[in-house]
Amino acid sequence: MTDHDLDGGAVKHRHRQEGPQKHVVAFIFSIILTLIAFATVAAGGVNTAFTVLLLLVMAVLQVLVQLGYWMHLKDKGHMIPIIFMAGGFFVAGTAIVAALYWMWW
Amino acid sequence: MAHAHTVKRHKGLMDWLTTVDHKKIAILYLIAGGFFFGIGGIEALLIRVQLAKPMNDFVTAQQFNELITMHGTTMIFLGVMPVIFALMNAVIPLQIGARDVAFPFLNSLGFWTFLFGGLLLNLSWILGGAPDAGWTSYTPLSSTTYSLTHGVDFYTIGLQIAGLGTLIGGINFLATIITMRAPGMSFMRMPMFTWTTFVTSTMILFAFPAITVGLVLLTFDRILGANFFDVAQGGNPVLWQHIFWIFGHPEVYILILPAFGVISEVVSTFSRKRLFGYSSMVFATILIAFLGFMVWAHHMFTTGMGPVANALFSIATMLIAVPTGIKIFNWLFTMWGGQIRFTTANLFASGFIPTFVMGGVTGVMLASAPADYQYHDTYFVVAHFHYVIVGGLVLGLFAGLHYWWPKMFGRVLNEKLGKVEFWTFIIGFHMTFFVQHFLGLIGMQRRVFTYLPNQGFDTMNLVSTIGAFLMGVGVIIFLVNVVLSFRQPKGVAGDVWEDGRTLEWAIASPPPEYNFKQTPLVRGIDAFWKEKMAGNKEMTPAEPVGPIHMPSPTILPFMMSVGLFIAGLGFMFTNDDFGNSVLNFLFGKYIITGLGLAITFGCMLLRSLFDDHGWHIDPDELNDKEVKAS
Amino acid sequence: MSTPHPQQAAGALPHEPEKATLEGRNKVLGFWLFLGGESVLFGTLFATFLTLRNQVADGPSASELFSLPMTAAATFILLVSSLTSVFAIQAMHRGNRTSLARWLGVTVVLGLAFLILEIYEFAEYIIHDGYGMTTSAFSSAFYTLVGFHGAHVLFGILWISILIGQLFKKGLTVVTAPKIYVSAMYWHFIDVVWVFIFTVVYLLGKVVG
Repeated sequence: MTDHDLDGGAVKHRHRQEGPQKHVVAFIFSIILTLIAFATVAAGGVNTAFTVLLLLVMAVLQVLVQLGYWMHLKDKGHMIPIIFMAGGFFVAGTAIVAALYWMWW
Repeated sequence: MAHAHTVKRHKGLMDWLTTVDHKKIAILYLIAGGFFFGIGGIEALLIRVQLAKPMNDFVTAQQFNELITMHGTTMIFLGVMPVIFALMNAVIPLQIGARDVAFPFLNSLGFWTFLFGGLLLNLSWILGGAPDAGWTSYTPLSSTTYSLTHGVDFYTIGLQIAGLGTLIGGINFLATIITMRAPGMSFMRMPMFTWTTFVTSTMILFAFPAITVGLVLLTFDRILGANFFDVAQGGNPVLWQHIFWIFGHPEVYILILPAFGVISEVVSTFSRKRLFGYSSMVFATILIAFLGFMVWAHHMFTTGMGPVANALFSIATMLIAVPTGIKIFNWLFTMWGGQIRFTTANLFASGFIPTFVMGGVTGVMLASAPADYQYHDTYFVVAHFHYVIVGGLVLGLFAGLHYWWPKMFGRVLNEKLGKVEFWTFIIGFHMTFFVQHFLGLIGMQRRVFTYLPNQGFDTMNLVSTIGAFLMGVGVIIFLVNVVLSFRQPKGVAGDVWEDGRTLEWAIASPPPEYNFKQTPLVRGIDAFWKEKMAGNKEMTPAEPVGPIHMPSPTILPFMMSVGLFIAGLGFMFTNDDFGNSVLNFLFGKYIITGLGLAITFGCMLLRSLFDDHGWHIDPDELNDKEVKAS
Repeated sequence: MSTPHPQQAAGALPHEPEKATLEGRNKVLGFWLFLGGESVLFGTLFATFLTLRNQVADGPSASELFSLPMTAAATFILLVSSLTSVFAIQAMHRGNRTSLARWLGVTVVLGLAFLILEIYEFAEYIIHDGYGMTTSAFSSAFYTLVGFHGAHVLFGILWISILIGQLFKKGLTVVTAPKIYVSAMYWHFIDVVWVFIFTVVYLLGKVVG
C-alpha cells in the first residue's frame, strides 16, 4: 500500500465524463434485487431458512452497488474510506453476531 | 473577501471562548480536564476515608454509591480523556508539521460539548442526587425501579453530550493525521505518539457510537417508558451489558494507547536513542486495537454465557499480552545502552513500565474465566484496573505533561520539585492499590460501603487510605510546580531538552499561532534529529515563505454546546411535577428541549450559511513574529 | 495554507470541484470517517432490534403488524431518490448548476414522500392500534431503529434544501461543491441503512416473525 493510495480523496483521477447509463443500469439492478426480495416474501411457501439467506444476499448485493458505484468506493484513491467503512461494518457485524448468538440461542 | 487586517481579534475571555487554535484548545482541555480530575480525586479521597476503618459512618450507603459512581465516571470520561486530548491537541499538529488540525471549528466544538456534558453530569450533585448505579450503570439497578433520583438521567444525558465531543475530536484527529502531514512524512515515518493517537482515534470512532446507542436506550427506558431492559415487558438486561462493554472495553485501550505513545517519545528522547523496534511498535498498537474490540465479553464471564464463549474470550484476552509485551521489551531495549537522563518526565516513564506490567499480569489472571468467578467484583479487580489506569495512563500523562509543558507554555516545570512529586505519587499509588489485590483475594467486595471488623481487612484498608492521601499530596506538589512555573518569564529554547527528535522541537516554545513559518520537509523517521545529525540547526523548508491562511475565531461551537446543555436538562425533567403550571408546561411539553435544540441547529445553520473565508498572515508579519518568538 | 483561495478558483471550476481544495478534500474524508461511525451506530441499533424482535409481550408480532405494499412503496421511493442524487452529482461534475439544483430538488421531494409514508405508518400503529413505544420490548426497538432512520431522513431533507438555497445565492463554487457532494454521500448512506431495515425488520419480520 503506497502513500499515494492512502491519500483518501486527495488523489486526482480524471475519470471520463460519464453519462447516466452506468448508474441507470445499477439502479435497475437494485430494483431487480428488491423485487426478488419482496416477491419471495409475498409469494410465501418457500423454505424459511432459504428465504432468510436469499434476503440477506439480496441486501448485501444492493448495499455493494450503493457503496461501490454510487458512493464511488470502487474508484481509485478510496483506500482510506474503504478501510474505515469496512472497520465500521466489522464492528457493527460483531455486535450483531454477538446479539444473535447470546440472545437467541 | 476577508483580508488579514480586517479580521476581528478577540481579547481576554472572548478570545478563549471563540478560539479555534489547537494550541489554545489544548490548554482549555487541560484546564477542564484538570478541574474534573480534581473533583474525581476528592471523591476518591472521600471513598478512602469512609473505608479507612470498619463500620465507618463518614458517609451513608447512598452517598457512597454516588461517590463511587461519580468517581469512576468523572475520572474516565471527564478527567483523563480531556487530558489525553490536551496532549493530542498540543502536540499532534506540531509532530506532523501541520499549521492546524483538519477541522479547527469541529475541534472547538468537541471541546465545548465535552465541557458542557461534564458540567451537566456534575450538576447532579446539587439537583437532587448524583448517579448511583456504578460507572457501568447496569440495568435493572439503573432503571427507574431501583434508581429513584434523576442521577442516572444526568449520567445518560451528560455522557451523551460529552461523548459527542469525544467522537468529534476523534474524527478530527483521524482526518488531521491522514491529510495534513508535512511533505515526506509517510505513515511509517510518523512519530509514535502520532501513531497511537491515530489508532486511538480510530477506536473512538468505532466504539463511541455503541455507547451513544446504549445511552439512548437507557434514556428512553427511563424517560419515555420504553422496555429495552425491562424483563416484565420482554426486555433484556444483559443487552445493556453487551452494548456497554462493546464500547467499554475499547474505551480502556483508547485510554492506554496514548500513554504508550507518550512513553515511547519520552524514553527514546531521554535515552538519546531511536525507538527500538519502531515497526513492531506500530504493529503492536494496531493489533491491540483490533483485539480490543474482540474481548468485551470478558467483563461478563459470570453472566452465564456458557463455556464455549467464556473460553474464546479468555484466549482472546490473553492474546493481548503478546503485543503489549512487545511494547514493554521495546521500551527496555530502547533504554538499553542509551545515555539515559532521569528527568522528571523520564522518571514517570520509567515508573510506568514496571507498574503497568504488574497491572498486565493481573489482567492475564483475570482473563482466566474459572479464576474470574473467584475474583469477580472483589477488590482484586479494583486493584487491577487502577494499576493499568493510574499506574499506566496517569503516570504516562504526568510524563507527557512534564515533557511537553515547555512546548505548551514556554516555561519548564521545576525538576527538583518534579522528582519529589514523582516519588510521593508512586509510593502513594503502590500503597493504595498493592494491598487491594490481597483484600480482594481474601474476600472484600467492591462497591460495598463498609465492612465488619476482624476479617483481616482493617490494617490493609488503613494502609490503602494513607496511600491515597500520599497520592493527593503528589498531585498538590504538581499544582505548586505549575504555579511556580508561571512565575518564570516565558520563552525557553525551542529544543528545550536538547535531545528533541520530532518536529515539535524544531520550532519556538510556545509555537507561534501558525506553528511553522514554512512547512518542513521530512527526510526520515525522527525528522528533527536527522537534520541535527546532518549538522543542520533547522528543518529544511518544503515551500517558500508566503502568506498563511488562518481560520477565523467563532463563538458558534460554544453556543451549540450551550444549546445541547439546555436541551438535555429540559428532556431530563419531562415527567416531573414542579407544582407550578408554567414550569410543568415548559418541561412537560418539551419546550425547553426544543429551545435548546433550536439553538444548536440554528448555530449549525449559521455556520452553513456564512462561509468562513478566514484571514491571512502576510510574510512580513511572519518575520516580525519570528524575531519576537526566538 | 497552500490552498487556492475560494474566489480565485471560482472562475474556472475544475472537473471535481468537491476535491479542488484541501478543505474540500478534508470534508469528504471526514464525512467518510463519520459514516464509518454511523455504521456502528446503526449496527448497534440492529443488534438491539434483533435481540428483542420476538419479545412482543401482549402486543402484535411483526408479521401481524407490517404491510408489505407500503414498505415496498417506501423502498422504491428511496431507491429512486438515491438515483436522483447520483444524477445531481453528475450534473455538478458537468458544472451545470440548474440541472444540479433540479435533481437535488427531486431528491428532496422524494425524501419528503418517504417521510410522509413513514409518519403515516407510525400514526396508523399508534392511533389505530394503540401500539406505542411502551407496548413491548419489540415495539421499543422497532420505533427506535426505524425512528432513528426517519430522523436521519428528516435531517437530510432540511440539509439538502438549505444547500439548494445556497446554490442559488452563492453559486456552484469550490466552497459549495464539497457540501453538496457530502450531502449526497449522506443520502446514499440513508438508503444503505434502509436496505437493511426493509430486509431485517419488514421482510424477515414477515418470514420469521
